[in-house]
Amino acid sequence: MTLQGLVIQILSGISTGMVIFLIAVGLSLVFGTLRILNLAHGALYMMGAYMCYWISSVIAQFTGAFWWSLLLAPVGVAIFGGLVEVLLLRRIYDREPLDQYLLTFALVLVIGDLCKLAWGVEYHLVPAPWPLNGPIFFMGMPFPSYNVFLIFCGPLVFIGLWALIRYTRLGKVIRAMTYNREMANALGTNVPLVYTVVFMLGSWLAGLGGTLVVPTASAMPGMDMIILIECFIIIVVGGLGSLSGAFLGSLIFGLVNAFGILVAPRLAVAFGFILMIVVLIIRPWGLMGKAE
Amino acid sequence: MRQSLAKMDWSGKALGIIVLLAGFLALPIFLPVGWLSLVTEMLILALAAGGLNLMLGYAGMVSFGPAGFYAVGAYATALILTNTKLPFVLAFAAGPVIAALTAIPIGWFCVRLTHVYFALLTLAFAQIIHTIIFEWYDFTKGDNGIVDIPLPEILRSIPHYYYFSLIVVVFCLALLWMIIKSPFGKTLQAMRENAQRAESIGIPVRLYQLATFVLSGFFLGVAGSLFCGFNKNVFPNYAHWIKSTEMLVVCLLGGIYNFFGPIVGSIVYLFLDKVITGYTQFWPLVLGLIIIILLLFLRGGIAGFIAERLALRRRRGEQA
Repeated sequence: MTLQGLVIQILSGISTGMVIFLIAVGLSLVFGTLRILNLAHGALYMMGAYMCYWISSVIAQFTGAFWWSLLLAPVGVAIFGGLVEVLLLRRIYDREPLDQYLLTFALVLVIGDLCKLAWGVEYHLVPAPWPLNGPIFFMGMPFPSYNVFLIFCGPLVFIGLWALIRYTRLGKVIRAMTYNREMANALGTNVPLVYTVVFMLGSWLAGLGGTLVVPTASAMPGMDMIILIECFIIIVVGGLGSLSGAFLGSLIFGLVNAFGILVAPRLAVAFGFILMIVVLIIRPWGLMGKAE
Repeated sequence: MRQSLAKMDWSGKALGIIVLLAGFLALPIFLPVGWLSLVTEMLILALAAGGLNLMLGYAGMVSFGPAGFYAVGAYATALILTNTKLPFVLAFAAGPVIAALTAIPIGWFCVRLTHVYFALLTLAFAQIIHTIIFEWYDFTKGDNGIVDIPLPEILRSIPHYYYFSLIVVVFCLALLWMIIKSPFGKTLQAMRENAQRAESIGIPVRLYQLATFVLSGFFLGVAGSLFCGFNKNVFPNYAHWIKSTEMLVVCLLGGIYNFFGPIVGSIVYLFLDKVITGYTQFWPLVLGLIIIILLLFLRGGIAGFIAERLALRRRRGEQA
């Protein structure tokens, strides 16, 4: 392969990885704090994608419709997530993991069908927004400039989240809860409120990922399942509940996929899983996770 | 006094089972063929869910990938039937055996992990099985599936296949029942409640978990082989994780801490599926709402609810 081809492949691997990072980190954050493996996380992502399509088509007469959806759609998903947390999740925190899987799986079904009801089963594409609708040239090879934008989104959100968790009061509480829930409860934190906020933040991230992905893929039924499995791979590879683990996992996953497709195109789907199995066998708690 | 009560209880149960079996034997007489195939599907799903529940409800191991072994059983039987001249009985028996053999190495990796990690690793292996089936076109015909699987003359009519499934499923469920009631089954439940304590009194927990994994794979394989004969075709989606989730939902719907839970679950699930799909294309939405309602108001699943009611009535009877 030529050097240019290699560079392009690396770039496209990173840009895929960075979008999945946004979604996976939300899943990981929710798991770390609420101790719930939210199977509906992918559905929230799909909802974000549809909302982006919907908002940008409603306000298409304004310039920069996509940028407005980027602002609004994730917020919409976050509000929906908040309602779900308050009305449903809140009732099952002290139940067995199985009940939690079942409830969040039920949400997958409900959200999937609600999206179908609202937006149909057609594929909805939103074109890449101005000024990112052209290619950028790397050593003479064209590469979509929108994907370059995606590459920057990942680290930006990563730094934002890191600062949030490191420096704010909310971040302190989240950390305390991740380390020792009973102690945090005992110290008089408003636990229900923190849970709601964290779940909304997770939903917001899922919605953001969904919105960002629409110009490169499209909004379509079934996208929730695909992303959910990819997120599982990433958070397991990186270590459940670990922010930097999700980042590292996403990078590795994106690159493994980009090169896997070149090496053995027909087995591309299995590469992520092989990666996950290898990591779990070597480090059962993930690359950046801690042994239990 | 207690002895005789227990005996009466037991003979009552035996009577109930005989009546139930007689009812199942008589079904083809008055049930139209369409409903009869639905009942056959229920039987097969009940067996698959029962096999999964050995692991899920009794050993407390949450697997997201049972469909992998279901598909291995189905594909093994289908491939043997289409490519060799082996008699049906052998091909049918080979399916579950190959599924169980596949479960040995996979289980060996999986049982080293616990909880979420275990669940996700089983999912990964099942998806790899799905990918292999999907992509190995020369061997498995990929997305086209294997169709027109030859069956012996006697099994080609739906009532006959129904009887065949009934015999196999009842036999396997009886086997599962014996496993659950055996010391092995009791040990599994002890491990589920407290794995560390079980380990400390000398139970080789991992070995037991591996055995459960393989047994579960075997029963899932039986169900897969049965379904392959029922449909006379197999497709990669047999191994898809949606199929796994379906089995999981069936178990949970019926109740996982009750032997009859998966059976009740599969009956309710497929019946609702058939009825509701007739009215609306939004069956998943309805299913999701049903699950949420069950979860918030009926924690033990349907069978758990019934068992609770029965226990309540019995207690009232004793008081009176």
